[in-house]
Amino acid sequence: MTVILEILKGNDAKILRHDEKVILALVPNDKLRTTAELLFKAGCYYATGVGVDERLLGVGFSMYHIFNCESEKRYVILKAVANNSKIPSITPIISGANWAEREAMDMVGIFFDEHPEPLRLILPDDWPEGVHPLRKEFHYNERPPRIEFKPPKKEKKPGVMEVPVGPYHPTLHEPEVFELHVKGEEIVGAVYRGFHVHRGLEKLAEERMTINQIPFLAERICGICGYTHNCAYAQAVEDAAKIEVPERALYIRTILLELERLHSHLLWFGVAFHLLGFDSGFMHTWRIREAFMDLAELLTGNRKTYGMNLIGGVRRDIDEEKKKKVLEIFEKTKKETKEVLDNAAGMKELTSRMEGVGVLPKKEGREIGVVGPVARASGIDTDVRRDHPYAAYGDLEFKVPVYKEGDVLARFLVRYEETFESFWIIEQALDQLPPGDILNEDYELPEYAVGIGATEAPRGEDVHFVITEGGNKVYRWRPRAPTYNNLPAVPIMLMGEKLADAPIIIASIDPCFSCTDHMVIVDGEKVCRCSLDDYLRRL
Amino acid sequence: MGRFKLIVKAISIGKVTEKYPFVPLEVPEGFRGKPVIDPEKCIGCTSCSNACPPQALQVYDEPERGVRVVHLFIGRCIFCARCQDVCPTGAIKLTKEFELATLSEEDLHQFVELKMVRCEECDRPFDTFRHLLYSAKELQPWEREMMFLCPECRAKKVSERLIFAKGGGGFV
Repeated sequence: MTVILEILKGNDAKILRHDEKVILALVPNDKLRTTAELLFKAGCYYATGVGVDERLLGVGFSMYHIFNCESEKRYVILKAVANNSKIPSITPIISGANWAEREAMDMVGIFFDEHPEPLRLILPDDWPEGVHPLRKEFHYNERPPRIEFKPPKKEKKPGVMEVPVGPYHPTLHEPEVFELHVKGEEIVGAVYRGFHVHRGLEKLAEERMTINQIPFLAERICGICGYTHNCAYAQAVEDAAKIEVPERALYIRTILLELERLHSHLLWFGVAFHLLGFDSGFMHTWRIREAFMDLAELLTGNRKTYGMNLIGGVRRDIDEEKKKKVLEIFEKTKKETKEVLDNAAGMKELTSRMEGVGVLPKKEGREIGVVGPVARASGIDTDVRRDHPYAAYGDLEFKVPVYKEGDVLARFLVRYEETFESFWIIEQALDQLPPGDILNEDYELPEYAVGIGATEAPRGEDVHFVITEGGNKVYRWRPRAPTYNNLPAVPIMLMGEKLADAPIIIASIDPCFSCTDHMVIVDGEKVCRCSLDDYLRRL
Repeated sequence: MGRFKLIVKAISIGKVTEKYPFVPLEVPEGFRGKPVIDPEKCIGCTSCSNACPPQALQVYDEPERGVRVVHLFIGRCIFCARCQDVCPTGAIKLTKEFELATLSEEDLHQFVELKMVRCEECDRPFDTFRHLLYSAKELQPWEREMMFLCPECRAKKVSERLIFAKGGGGFV
């Protein structure tokens, strides 16, 4: 408690919000870097950064750096206001801030002094200079004219071959590019280029949708763990507006979140087996997974997009009959899951392809701020469910598996243990399901309140940041998928490995590229035909 | 050791692939499938179009024909069932139907046309008959005489009354 507050007070920070969940502090620009460094040294890791256009509030552009302080069970948000569109960069101290700052640079037009790599991250190369989509004057259905772009000539190193993996590649299920530099069989360098499927979801939400419509958009961020985004968004708004959620609703959320983790982990096992050439294992895990998809259909009305959350609770109840059915299916699937996974773990030819491959050391992992099973496999003991209890996790008992090896096998084993923890959590939650209401609709949205919602997605910590606008709108919504933090670690894992191991190393973080890019398909309107000058003048 | 066990397992389970589409697929109770509007029950209140996240439901007036159109386009629908939640008369329901592939886009549209009431003063169609009847029971007795006026004319009339009412003029 005192450590964080002392750091903030020692650096002339003005504390704007301080409660059991969040500390929000306005930090003067010249002290930002020292504050961030002290926080990082005090054991807070960098979760994400959010650039906001607050000119309508009379503030200007601002940057919110969000830190996860596990030891104090709080999120610490440092707010810095841009002076002449400029804020000092904290990337030289915390490399995890790299992407978040570059994203703010692209989308809001904040410039970061002394950023080591001030290149575009999200906007495509043919996007005109000086047009920033998340500024308030830009509308969600605008398509600015393209500019001519010539890719720069690359220098060729002798003896090094460049192997592009992606944007369309059999081992990647989504469009992203890994440029692998290989010397013979060994990988000596890796460059990641993503955000091919960015569709301006945040803009769409803040401009066109109402608070109770956004959960359905949030659910479509991810094709596998959509419900966790849905939950994180709902929690962020509930946190901002201080809405009390009925206890029964919290338990139902927990049950569904864990059901999602079960099917997501089984999906990952299947994909990993497939990439390692163990296709019968893939078939068996996916056969078992089908039972969970049917369960989700029974409980929510659909296999994948549950559509269960509204602000203030859930939409459907779980009755006794459904409860019985869940437990019935669990009895069977638990045994089968154990059988198949134990069988795979005992196969020498499978484990030897994972052991010692794609190692991520703890120190690097902490600096980048990796989350979820990737962090836990590298000896970083972090789990949002335990550190920042949400839904009903505070009342339930579960273990958090941690391995120190940091290789692909460790990530496999973390997920293996988590799968059985999930069974146990659902059984507890069903048993303790309290009676009562499931939806609280008696609330009012405050104006410009900051809220944060975090869930432990199957891939790691999922953070949603919301600024409300009052009425039924949000002013800014920023989802941060777990893969956003895990991807920068992949080039480190790939270094020095064999090219043939690249697919399983990339897959070992359970990447979800489209979540990172916030994918949602919006009707593609025609690109603006006017000249760039006209366009900029109009803006 | 593992592989032999797996073969035994595979043989004991047999085929799990369902014979769909040759055998119909059962979906559980409460499945969220294709939404259908019951034209008999719809009152054209626009609740559904306000709640619909992807704007698959749109409600618009065609004043020259004097109708309000409730247009459902399933091509945009995300099957969230928010329309079903908010519908005051239970006119829109999600069915168990999920086989929506079609050769013509027309199959994905449903239009419900509802006759509108014209304003007694300005003759502009302003609300559907059914919605007016539905909301009539909520009205206070003194509001009923202005039932057939459009919101603008009603506002005008109310302010006129306030100005010319006994003793009221002094305060306006």
